[in-house]
Amino acid sequence: MVSYILRRVLATLPVMAIVALFVFSLLYIAPGDPAAVIAGDQASPADVERIRQSLGLDRPFLVQFGSWLWLILHGDLGTSIFTNLPVTSLIAQRIEPTLSLMTITLVLTIFIAVPLGVVAAWKAGSWVDRAIMAFAVSAFSLPVFVVGYILAYVFALELEWFPVQGYTPLAEGFWPWLENLILPAVALGCVYIALIARITRASMLEVLQQDYIRTARAKGLGQRNILFIHALKNAAVPIITVIGIGVALLIGGAVVTESVFAIPGLGRLTVDAILRRDYPVIQGIVLLFSFLYVLVNLVVDLTYTLVDPRIRY
Amino acid sequence: MTVLTTHTAPVPPGLAIAPQLPELLLPVKIRRGIVGFLRNHPTVAIGGALLLCLVLVGIFAPYLGTVDPTAIAPARRTRAPSAEFWFGTDLLGRDIYSRVLYGARVSLTVGLSVALLASLAGLAIGLVSGFLRRADTILMRFMDGLMSIPPILLAIALMALTRGSVGNVILAITIAEIPRVSRLVRGVVLSLREQPYVDAAVASGTRAPMIILRHILPNTLAPMLVQATYVCASAMIVESILSFIGAGTPPTIPSWGNIMAEGRALWQIKPYIVFFPAAFLSATVLAVNLVGDGLRDAFDPRMAKSL
Amino acid sequence: MDRRTVLKGLAGAGSLAATGGLSMPALSQGAAARTLRFVPQANLANFDPIWGTQYVVRNAAALVWDTLYGFDANLQPQRQMVEAEEVSDDGLVWTFRLRPGLKFHDGEPVRAKDVVASLTRWSARDPMGLMLKAIQNELTAVDDRTFKWALKKPYPKMLLALGKNSTPCAFIMPERIAQTDPFKQINEYVGSGPMKFVKAEWVPGAKSVFEKFADYAPRQEKASWLAGGKQMLVDRIEWVVIPDPATAAAALQNGEVDWWENPIADLAPVLRKNRNINVDIADPLGNVGSFRMNHLHQPFNDVRARRAVLTALSQEDYMRALVGDDTSLWKPLPGFFTPDTPLYNEEGGEILKGKRDFAAAKKLLAESGYTDQPVSCIVAQDQPITKAQGDVTADLLKRMGMNVDFVATDWGTVGSRRAQKSPAGQGGWEMFHTWHAGADCINPAVYIAIRGSGDKAWFGWPNSPAVEKEVTAWFEAKSLDEEKAAARRLNKAALEDVIYAPTGFFLSYTAWRKNVSGIAKGPLPFFWGVSKTA
Repeated sequence: MVSYILRRVLATLPVMAIVALFVFSLLYIAPGDPAAVIAGDQASPADVERIRQSLGLDRPFLVQFGSWLWLILHGDLGTSIFTNLPVTSLIAQRIEPTLSLMTITLVLTIFIAVPLGVVAAWKAGSWVDRAIMAFAVSAFSLPVFVVGYILAYVFALELEWFPVQGYTPLAEGFWPWLENLILPAVALGCVYIALIARITRASMLEVLQQDYIRTARAKGLGQRNILFIHALKNAAVPIITVIGIGVALLIGGAVVTESVFAIPGLGRLTVDAILRRDYPVIQGIVLLFSFLYVLVNLVVDLTYTLVDPRIRY
Repeated sequence: MTVLTTHTAPVPPGLAIAPQLPELLLPVKIRRGIVGFLRNHPTVAIGGALLLCLVLVGIFAPYLGTVDPTAIAPARRTRAPSAEFWFGTDLLGRDIYSRVLYGARVSLTVGLSVALLASLAGLAIGLVSGFLRRADTILMRFMDGLMSIPPILLAIALMALTRGSVGNVILAITIAEIPRVSRLVRGVVLSLREQPYVDAAVASGTRAPMIILRHILPNTLAPMLVQATYVCASAMIVESILSFIGAGTPPTIPSWGNIMAEGRALWQIKPYIVFFPAAFLSATVLAVNLVGDGLRDAFDPRMAKSL
Repeated sequence: MDRRTVLKGLAGAGSLAATGGLSMPALSQGAAARTLRFVPQANLANFDPIWGTQYVVRNAAALVWDTLYGFDANLQPQRQMVEAEEVSDDGLVWTFRLRPGLKFHDGEPVRAKDVVASLTRWSARDPMGLMLKAIQNELTAVDDRTFKWALKKPYPKMLLALGKNSTPCAFIMPERIAQTDPFKQINEYVGSGPMKFVKAEWVPGAKSVFEKFADYAPRQEKASWLAGGKQMLVDRIEWVVIPDPATAAAALQNGEVDWWENPIADLAPVLRKNRNINVDIADPLGNVGSFRMNHLHQPFNDVRARRAVLTALSQEDYMRALVGDDTSLWKPLPGFFTPDTPLYNEEGGEILKGKRDFAAAKKLLAESGYTDQPVSCIVAQDQPITKAQGDVTADLLKRMGMNVDFVATDWGTVGSRRAQKSPAGQGGWEMFHTWHAGADCINPAVYIAIRGSGDKAWFGWPNSPAVEKEVTAWFEAKSLDEEKAAARRLNKAALEDVIYAPTGFFLSYTAWRKNVSGIAKGPLPFFWGVSKTA
């Protein structure tokens, strides 16, 4: 088991190397360098060139890539061109809101979607089933920002149950932290809920037809017991897989949600950095994302062993 | 000696003939063909019909009472829906009804192209990776890497490299969706590889490409078709998100995404600018999802676990 | 008490019990009244006003650093940090004496050597500063409170250069910070202005925090723009970046922010309807929309093609696309100078007035030799002003019969592509859009975009000896009347040669909650004199 984990962690390195090279090349080719944005409207081309030189942007591709790799290997992600702050501290500042948002969304969706899917499978074919599936599909059909606007309007502006925007760190209190994140989490979670509910239902349907369920029922076990303990555990593997895949979706959707609800997270940082061509920040964040994504996959694979003792590494 | 005669032999007189058995099992009307398929699976029928309507709307947009969707008239911007402008006008005075109908073309094109291209590429990669063990590790690591690059970054970079265009949007979203499809195909291939008939084919000396083509490929088509519909739906939503951040199709080419993006600041006071394209977009995504669900249930309900 | 406060109270009590007293409201009622929450026009990602010349950087810098002189509401430079100045009879030596009691945020007094270092850094980046540097003999500190600038030629616009509010402004920093290379960023934000920058709470791109500087010694006169006494009536200012206008409007309505710098014009009616919000024009100097053509290559290297555009261009279309149906927000601009300023005139502007004549435009275009080659128009989609102008232009040129190649991209790309002098097929461009703050279009000194110096001119590289002649005349003018005459001739020449196509003059709103008072109109948001009741 330990050797499996080690092997997987080692396997992340080539992935991240590929990602790093790809992103670096992309940024190198893309026109519009930060020097022009920095120099501003009144600058002369000579000024822009001086700024480029001071940023080291006029060196050849391999030199730039090499020096960046060298920094990474020392744990230094470089310095942001625009804010002059280390990329690591920028990321550290912004990671808490994004992680909080994603965690709350995950928790919310799992606790809503899995029971929904279980119920739909239990009452397969009835109107309850159709209603749940219809809801799931329709929740998937609207873009995140439309859902976000509607939620903000109804619950924040009209009913005044939650604030419209912003983020309060956890250190300032649990409820202030939570109330800023509920609306964004619901908006972001809609798509996720649909996916997970569907997979849960399908997986449960298959499991519910198995013999051991019939035995359990014959033994006289209660419905809830059967559903949530026996059936769900056996159905869990595909559900967990989808949760893992969905994390990538979440990262993408977080960008929009953070813009709509003005949450100072990594998503917004990425878009701002891309539009300004703040190369070190972009490279640092994409590297981080790829690492996170691989980590999530690893956790998912490890969770399989918890749920299904037959799976061993 | 028992004579086995057919019923053509004359019946001997006096032989009692058993009475006819009552019809216990009514004959099943076997519905054949596409029509039969559709009647058996109403979800596919409904979704397909809706989708077909929207495609026709897109194709016949010029004949459905529309005007030039790019004609600006700033003097009559943000007017509410009226007899002259059925869906109202947008921030530059363009007719929203026309833009939404023409926008169907772009959004559907993006969705269908991404679905097609991602499926083809994912199929190729998944087949190779599933069948050839050596290629598997490398390819899957590469796919992992690809999945962790946010499609937004790709789209903006492509836009900056050349310009904002439908082609760039399609390319960016396709690259982001390929890993998912290839994983699915790989999974199917991995499970099919263990089947006895594949062993038999290998044993009888069939070359790998032939095995892939003849035995494996037909079995991947069903799950891939279903996955393609989900990719299509997701691509249309991602296109609207890209327009939201300004990396989508240029404004001279209306798409539901960029109509919504342009009108989003005003949605509290002039909700119709966002509402109509959103309604069309969700109807289309709904239709595509219904088709996907129906097809999946039709082919093999167990497929649902892996999609 | 509104519902949210009640719910918050209940939840707070609940979680208080649950977590054993961990949660605490961040600010008490009294403290809340001393904090002003402001939504700026853009991201404040970096904070060096000499290195980065975006308007938002200057606006924030005006809180933290002080200037030697400052424009007042009449666009006249008034003394700020300077107590007295003296210029020698031949106009070659300027001597300045600083006010007593000026302190930096780290406790050090402001000395002349700090000023010398700051001006050296500033003059390496600022156009007027570069002019001064070119004719400079020496810039030295005479003693702790006096410094001297000796020139080779007279420069009558010295006070204008030191007090202007167009970027980069001549902010005074401590010597050790001002000695940073002008093309590299500073990373210490210490100044002598009325507020301190709280770097520990800075989240670049999301939030910036400023705290009152207790030892600031304001002047005795009443504050007027950047001149006069800068009295701070709040203890703390938070700049909260809200990228989505709909969310910012909701936040203002909800009371989550107090002052929104730049609400979009379409949302003004909603804000006005709210009983708790005031909406007014932000800056009487407004903005000038600009459509720049490339004078180096076809088709716009021929003046007839450029004049064809002016003949067909409808400023009303552009302005309505930008600011909507509110006619109080825009004016037609048959010239280049800001309306309601001394040098404004309409000489030569007939081509932009009256009914638009597409037939004449097409004829002029044909005369210029245009034969349907594609004309590339680079339009930044992430800036609402350029995006709206781009859409109108695409339509305009199409109706003129031109073959438009619409390149939708982002501001970063526009920024670097517009610097390319090659033809469009090789990475260049034929036209792009931008806009200038009205304060930057009041006279030729600050107005880079109006110059016709060919290769040395701004992007588009217009070459107009007639315009340059009048610019020199303005610099050498001895009286306001002479200046106005020069400006009139300049306007005419600029329109004849079509340095660029002005798309109109437009204003923008600012909005604040009724419990905030003291908001003044001006080219940047002024925080002195602004107070807040609970």
